[in-house]
Amino acid sequence: MPARRVADRLRLAAGRITVLVAIAAAWEAGTRIGVIDPYFVSRPTKLAVTVGGWFAGGFIYPHIWATVQEAVIGLAVGIAGGVLIGMLFAFFPFLSALFHPLMVVFNATPRIALAPLFIVWLGIGLASKVAMVVSLVFFIIFFSTYAGLRDVDVNLINHVRVMGGTRRDLMRHVLLPSALTWIFASLRACVGFAVIGAIIGEYLGADRGIGWIVQYGESMFDSNMVIAGLLVLMAFVATLDGSLGWLESRFSHWKQKPL
Amino acid sequence: MITVERVTRTFGTPAGDFTAVREVSFRVAAGRFVSLVGPSGCGKTTLLGMIAGLVPVSEGRILLGDRAVIGGVPPDIGYLFQRDALLPWKTALQNVALPLTIRGRPVAETRARATEWLRRVGLAGFESYYPHQLSGGMRKRVSLATTLIYGPSVLLMDEPFSALDVQTRNLMENELLELWAETRNTVLFITHDLEEAIALSDEVIVLTAGPGRVKASYPIPLPRPRNVVEIRFHAEFTRLYEQIWKDLRDEVQQSYARATSR
Repeated sequence: MPARRVADRLRLAAGRITVLVAIAAAWEAGTRIGVIDPYFVSRPTKLAVTVGGWFAGGFIYPHIWATVQEAVIGLAVGIAGGVLIGMLFAFFPFLSALFHPLMVVFNATPRIALAPLFIVWLGIGLASKVAMVVSLVFFIIFFSTYAGLRDVDVNLINHVRVMGGTRRDLMRHVLLPSALTWIFASLRACVGFAVIGAIIGEYLGADRGIGWIVQYGESMFDSNMVIAGLLVLMAFVATLDGSLGWLESRFSHWKQKPL
Repeated sequence: MITVERVTRTFGTPAGDFTAVREVSFRVAAGRFVSLVGPSGCGKTTLLGMIAGLVPVSEGRILLGDRAVIGGVPPDIGYLFQRDALLPWKTALQNVALPLTIRGRPVAETRARATEWLRRVGLAGFESYYPHQLSGGMRKRVSLATTLIYGPSVLLMDEPFSALDVQTRNLMENELLELWAETRNTVLFITHDLEEAIALSDEVIVLTAGPGRVKASYPIPLPRPRNVVEIRFHAEFTRLYEQIWKDLRDEVQQSYARATSR
């Protein structure tokens, strides 16, 4: 990387940190001079102590682990199901014609309204959270796979057919790579939704997880705990999104970068 | 040899049936380079698609050698498309190698032959480039190598160079003639550019404005090897051009009149 770009990046990072520090300082100062009531919004120093204590004392790990587990299992099931059903629908137009309206209606249903049902059906454990995540991820992946397979350039298909390609060759060299680019494009959104699904599930009924911490804090009228929980959640999602962005850039190396 | 016998192709459209080509008959002898010229919309691409088995024939029949083209792509055929058809997620080398990969050739052999073909079309060193990193002319070269690597005996070319600038285009035409002099496959070349058709071919077939029919066919007795730029200064070239243009002009005007009155 040229030195100039390194310098640009450092400057940007420094700017971002400054913004964060400024917000925290204003917040802290506001609660100290009595402009803001720390009972409702806590204060950065207290939050730092709480969050630091959670990590140092080991309290937070089982909760992060629970949320990760729900999100990852739900993500895996949702992706597998979405790809499978998306492929089925793309290759059997009759199936697609039959079920398409149903898919659209289900996709339009607010998933938060389904959460209580999942808890009634599957209990307050892992299964209901996974179901919640799947209900969000499945549709995103399903529609991407379907579109990726349907929107393949006919020219590419003809090109491979003329050189002697069989249906299997078309699948392997044209259809799947095309669908994969669509799936990858929506994967990042999926991870976000998976975490949201897990948190909503925990929030509405669970005995562990980051969502449970927030909910527990609320029931105790402990705004410090709620905000500390949210901070952990934000850090968690930022880490996840960052690593996904890195992964994405590694898999789309054949794509043209916008000018 | 390509034999096209009284071939008609009709498409059903919301506005009623549309006939793209009507009762077209012609032959391309083995090892000959034949061009089809005609105004836009005369069904040239449809005709090529039918020979390649990509578009079904409505009436008549098409033979490659003595085998009829029915229900699928015939073996041993190459097709250079007007638009790029390179797979964007494969490198130049992987694209050129694909026909051999599909045929299950050993990996080492496939790699070696694909590398050799890239070198033959002047792209040594560009093996790991993706299509979007190559210029239009380079992408055409990769397409050409992809089509020639499996040695199809019949080569169908649909205005392959029409999107290139004039200099690149002339270079590619000369390269095509050089490669063809070695491979000697049967070539059916579609173009709307009469100069290109005469410069490249052994025979030029003129199609009428849509629905396309064969209007006339002209042998091109110009000497080979040819340089597509210099052959244009040949007296015989000018004579042939004038002669064929008289036929083509009426069709182009008719096609234009129809397009503008719509």
